[in-house]
Amino acid sequence: MTAFAVPTSWIFWAQEQAVELDRGLAVRWGLWLVVGFLAVFPGIVAYMVLLERKAAARFQDRIGPNRVGPLGLLQPIADALKLLTKEDLVPRGADALVHLAAPVLVIVSAFLMLAVIPFAVGMAPVDLPSGVLYLIAASSLSPLGVFLAGWSSRNKYSLLGAMRAVAQLVSYEIPQVLSVIPIVLWGGGLSLVAIFDKQADYGWFIASPPGLLAFLILLVASIAELNRAPFDIPEAESEIVAGFHTEYSGMRFSLFFLAEYLSVFAVGCLATALFLGGGMPIPFARFPLNLLDGSLARLVVVDLILLAVFAAKVFSFVLLMIWIRATLLRLRVDRLMNFAWKYLTPLAIVNILVAGIWYECVIRPGALTLGRWLGGTLVTGPMVAGLVWLAFWVNRREWAGEAAGPGRPSLEGARPDWETPGQTGASPQRAH
Amino acid sequence: MGSDIPLSWFLLFAAATFAIGIIGVITRKNPIAVLMAIEIMLSAANVNLVAFWRYGPERLDSGPIAGIVLAIMVITVAAAEVAVGIGLVILCYRRWQAADVDRYDSMAG
Amino acid sequence: MARILFLVIAGVGLTSALSTVLSRNLVRAAVSLAGFFFTVACLFILLEAEFLAALQVLIYVGAVSILLMFGIMLTRGVQGTDLVSGPSAARLPGIVVGLVVFAVLGYAIFEEKGLRTQYSWGALDERTAIARGSKEPGSPLRSAVNNMGKVVGVELMTRYVIAFELAGLLLTAALVGAVAVAHREEDETRSTGSGVPPEKPEPTADKPNP
Repeated sequence: MTAFAVPTSWIFWAQEQAVELDRGLAVRWGLWLVVGFLAVFPGIVAYMVLLERKAAARFQDRIGPNRVGPLGLLQPIADALKLLTKEDLVPRGADALVHLAAPVLVIVSAFLMLAVIPFAVGMAPVDLPSGVLYLIAASSLSPLGVFLAGWSSRNKYSLLGAMRAVAQLVSYEIPQVLSVIPIVLWGGGLSLVAIFDKQADYGWFIASPPGLLAFLILLVASIAELNRAPFDIPEAESEIVAGFHTEYSGMRFSLFFLAEYLSVFAVGCLATALFLGGGMPIPFARFPLNLLDGSLARLVVVDLILLAVFAAKVFSFVLLMIWIRATLLRLRVDRLMNFAWKYLTPLAIVNILVAGIWYECVIRPGALTLGRWLGGTLVTGPMVAGLVWLAFWVNRREWAGEAAGPGRPSLEGARPDWETPGQTGASPQRAH
Repeated sequence: MGSDIPLSWFLLFAAATFAIGIIGVITRKNPIAVLMAIEIMLSAANVNLVAFWRYGPERLDSGPIAGIVLAIMVITVAAAEVAVGIGLVILCYRRWQAADVDRYDSMAG
Repeated sequence: MARILFLVIAGVGLTSALSTVLSRNLVRAAVSLAGFFFTVACLFILLEAEFLAALQVLIYVGAVSILLMFGIMLTRGVQGTDLVSGPSAARLPGIVVGLVVFAVLGYAIFEEKGLRTQYSWGALDERTAIARGSKEPGSPLRSAVNNMGKVVGVELMTRYVIAFELAGLLLTAALVGAVAVAHREEDETRSTGSGVPPEKPEPTADKPNP
């Protein structure tokens, strides 16, 4: 069967380019673009900022913004207006074009991530066959934007922040990607919709020992990817002013700000879709999905349930990140790198094998039963626990406060190598 | 307008970018610029591979995605090449204190 | 429609490739290179290989460009201005060689005759149609396009398993080689078990000197 022997015609082309010619799809995409990406998501982000300020204030025994509107609810609007009316400064000697392009790149990366998340039945903006890979690719654009922002500002602190940021982002991207691989394995494909369906049948993926470990790795790596405390050395205020966005002001700065919180939201959506069963309220039941019978009214009801649960899960995830940010201290640079390369990456790699065992125990035999789930948990649970213990045991010397890596100030001469780590009695935050 | 993109357009694009890559490899002196030009050439080859895969006849004896797999292999090799290449460039920079391929002449006859 | 799209993408791609090669500022060249990689990903989407497009963005834009910029930062002044590529003797011959290569390739593209048993692809204007989303079973090519990730995985593990293993070997060798090559000599005595990957030769220790 050769290509030129096929009678090519308009009809074939029309079928082939269904995406282009289907009116309904075009309308749907337009709606997503206008309503979702221009109105809803930025609105969510604005109120997430308010949430973070309020929550952080509570953690620090303050009240938080409460002046604008009732309970401070109009604060985001006031902030946005303030940022919009601020003067937009470009430093002399900055590379103007790149300086402009960098925040755009970062925010485009954050928006692109949202384009494949299945929020509810039939409510994924796009169902790509290789959705997970697309997500990873879209999120890998942001280090480039961050680096360019720091470089084009022509400011030492910016450049330092950018170099730190890129080193950190590239390092933590690896465990982040590797922690998603078990989900792809269990979901039997890269499509997020397929993964959602699989979780309807086999329970949330977090409800398994390897899934839990993968979720934790993803959580830690995502916080690092988002430059949030305790991984915020790229924008550590006490060291390098504000890192890569030191020289940004006005609307351009708010683009970075928007991108950061949009990424937090996107990562919350990602974790919810991949690990927390999307919008399903009960871990091992097909609860809202079994109401579907093809009628529109049922679909609307089911979608409303799914959306509400999805939003609640994302909200809890974001709250967890705010909690972590308000609680933990900033890591030192070398510890940060070591944590990615010596703990998270090996754990994520070995976790893939454990995920394979789980697949053989639970998913391959067919329908999910309590016995299979218990068996799988009994087999993989000790393995996961052992792995985590092993990762910390192998790195125990470092954990005890030994200076790590060449070029770091260390007490090498004063303290012999064979001294037991316990004697130094150092906590991980000792040298902070 | 309205019909499909001809295969030759993809091939022309690939040829043009390949030529640009060659110009870069020959005229640039900075080793990293040379690396970039090599990457352009490899990408041009990839465009060709995928275009032939998509337009060519379907051959069952070589699998449904021969071109894609070949392109993935090229990407792999390119990534490895950049990793080693950057390492070599940094080493050369340390040794000669210059980023200029014309100065790296210790093996010149 | 598709043709216009192609022309726009190809125009952007050629422009960014040219500016990569011609730009005096290395960081700008790397930015253009990222743009070029992105247009190549767009072309892959036009060729219905979304999987490969995502891979291209992930590896080239996300990793290779960043790696190149790190290389620039470690070897040049921070602003990335390329001081050495002034007017060089090789410039004219280089451009001539490039043009000649392009002419030869273009001639080959349009004058290709094809063997007797095969068809000529010089005039191939249409591709085999692939109806997406329809339920009827299609050709292997069609199922491959519609579920690329899975097919790539299966093929890499069955038909191309040797190539896959060799690629893994190559990557391991490149990893070890890059670490060995770029490692600082004064660190040699203390370097046992350092897990720093080749992508970032001591990212924290090597602050760029402005």
